[in-house]
Amino acid sequence: MASLFVIRGSDQGSRFEFTDRARIGRDSTNDIQLHDTEVSRQHAEIQPAGDQFVLVDADSSNGTYVNGRRIDRCSLASGDQVQIGRTLLLYTGPAEESEDDLAGAIDIAAQPAAQPSRIVHSMSQEDGSRAFDLDADLPQHSWLARARSNLQVMYRTALAVSHTLDIDQLLQRIMDLIFEWVEADRGCIMLIDAESGRLEPKARRTRGRKPGARHTDEERIRISKTILDYVLQHNEGVLTSDAQQDNRWDAAASILQAGVREAICVPMQGRYDVVGVIYIDTSTSPQEVIRKGGAHQFKEDHLKLMIAIAHQAALAVEDTRYYSAMVQAERLAAIGQTVAILSHHIKNILQGIRGGSYLIEMGLSNGDADVIQRGWKIVERNQNKISALVLDMLTFSKERQPERVPSELNQVVGEVIELMQSRAEELGVRLSWRPAPRMETFVFDPEMIHRAVLNVVTNAIDAAGELLAESDEQPAPTSDRAPPTVDVAAEWDEAAETLRVTVRDNGPGIPPDTMKNLFSPFVSSKGSRGTGLGLPVSQKILTEHGGQIRVESSPRGSMFTLEWPAVAPEVGPATHTE
Amino acid sequence: MSTDQRVLVVDSSGETHEVLQAALARSGVRTYGARRTRRGLALAEEIRPDLIVLDLEVDEAEAEATCFPFAEQSRRNATPLVVLGSVRRVEGGSPLGEFVPKPYDYGPLVRKIEELLARNDECRRRAA
Repeated sequence: MASLFVIRGSDQGSRFEFTDRARIGRDSTNDIQLHDTEVSRQHAEIQPAGDQFVLVDADSSNGTYVNGRRIDRCSLASGDQVQIGRTLLLYTGPAEESEDDLAGAIDIAAQPAAQPSRIVHSMSQEDGSRAFDLDADLPQHSWLARARSNLQVMYRTALAVSHTLDIDQLLQRIMDLIFEWVEADRGCIMLIDAESGRLEPKARRTRGRKPGARHTDEERIRISKTILDYVLQHNEGVLTSDAQQDNRWDAAASILQAGVREAICVPMQGRYDVVGVIYIDTSTSPQEVIRKGGAHQFKEDHLKLMIAIAHQAALAVEDTRYYSAMVQAERLAAIGQTVAILSHHIKNILQGIRGGSYLIEMGLSNGDADVIQRGWKIVERNQNKISALVLDMLTFSKERQPERVPSELNQVVGEVIELMQSRAEELGVRLSWRPAPRMETFVFDPEMIHRAVLNVVTNAIDAAGELLAESDEQPAPTSDRAPPTVDVAAEWDEAAETLRVTVRDNGPGIPPDTMKNLFSPFVSSKGSRGTGLGLPVSQKILTEHGGQIRVESSPRGSMFTLEWPAVAPEVGPATHTE
Repeated sequence: MSTDQRVLVVDSSGETHEVLQAALARSGVRTYGARRTRRGLALAEEIRPDLIVLDLEVDEAEAEATCFPFAEQSRRNATPLVVLGSVRRVEGGSPLGEFVPKPYDYGPLVRKIEELLARNDECRRRAA
């Protein structure tokens, strides 16, 4: 399964997975819907091509980009960055190897073997930085050629680790890179588990093996524990061979088994700790040894470069771990803040209900119907508050998806006005409503649009009412200022194929520093009256409809414009093109 | 307790004022309401109430800022202050003030207000 992960844009954090053809666009008819006004309704398409996927632009207005280059058609590779409108996505190709069989495919061998492997070379981690040192034994041009090829490998490693999101993915990419550069037969990367302190296999690769095929016994990688311990303890990379050349390892208790001839094992040294090891090996058949005259497959040079690559990979692993720890901490802090704000708000509602109940009780004991009436009004108002809060929370929590049905906008907004009229009167605000002169039936979620408009109108009434609250319930309008007014209008913009609702108030306006956080959840500028969910919810609803909320504000009032594409009820399949 | 006592209630929703108005009217206490701090302070200077109820519906950071000028004023005018809120300790809280944490029951709150008014009344009579 391949995927596109949104790293920037309003859908940030979403992962879209696909196994077959997938259409990308702003419309809900797409398999991958992006809530981005710069994205065309039908923007691009993913098409399968063998094991890979191809991205094809569907004649979009703003174009489709892969790694910063505008494309019409482009074959995708893991790690490619796809830019569509203001949205940036990271492509990950179909996995070459499932993760579940990793542990079974790699053994750490502790028992001694008949044919012990020996360390031919060892090299301290610091020596990895000398991958480009001038080699006196080599002629100048040959050294240069090698240095250039090494530089190329290091550059590509740096690139591969530069956009890390997923450690497993990163390690697989490193493994692939190593295989492109060195004639290894098998390789694996193991990371030290933070809790158990044990090495856990994370990525492996066998040359010439079909993706998805089961590992044969021969493909199982057995790594000597002695060598792993040596690498980790000494923080040195080693090059081993089972050819008899060195006597230092005669006393070794455990050794590499199977037909491995040569192997490189290097520590993944991060900023502070060794986070794991990278291991590659190759076996050469006796015939080949004779043909090649006993030449080693792996050389000291390979070791140097492997150490450098492992260091880069380790830094990326550390960064990714710190990053996810930080995200986790921030998430916990955000949950704490959310709970505090919600409980504060619910406490105020509860207080209101207690007040109303107290009056009802008092009225009942005195037989005073007027007091009961007043108490009941307070209880009712708070009931509405808590149901609005629950609805906002539900809308915000993604539990509810828009249900698009043919609806009439004038009717939907008209209902909001009717509902809010009494609240406006209570605050001494004049609420006026201008339906669109021409309106047809369009497809949207009437309940959600109702909610979105309701939240904006509630805010507008509160803002206009602020004028009176300042002078405290003396609705005698001062001569220099118009009476508090909220004007609501609906519009069908035929030319732009857009539905629009404007809400204008003549309140004190929105201060510039509030403007910044206007759509951030739980940032209320209305004290206890606001949950801080109203505007974020409205914005979310509009975004889900492929639209937006625009705000203009001055000290003489604010204007909110809610607009979204006018989608006609479908008769046949969609024929929109942009 | 004399019947011409006056209580000022400052709360942004107006609900606390509504409830206290009905409850205190039984004992002949007149209530005045203000929905904003600024208006409340002005009204307090104007009518010189016998007691002020300050409902802190705002969050903690704003609560202290709201409470402080009232504490100052009530100390200056020797007006008892009842603070309703979720903040336990209010900086610059007046010794004349009572703190009632939310959520509270109105019965005990009304009794407390009546008690404070009675004590106030007695002090004044003794002084006279």
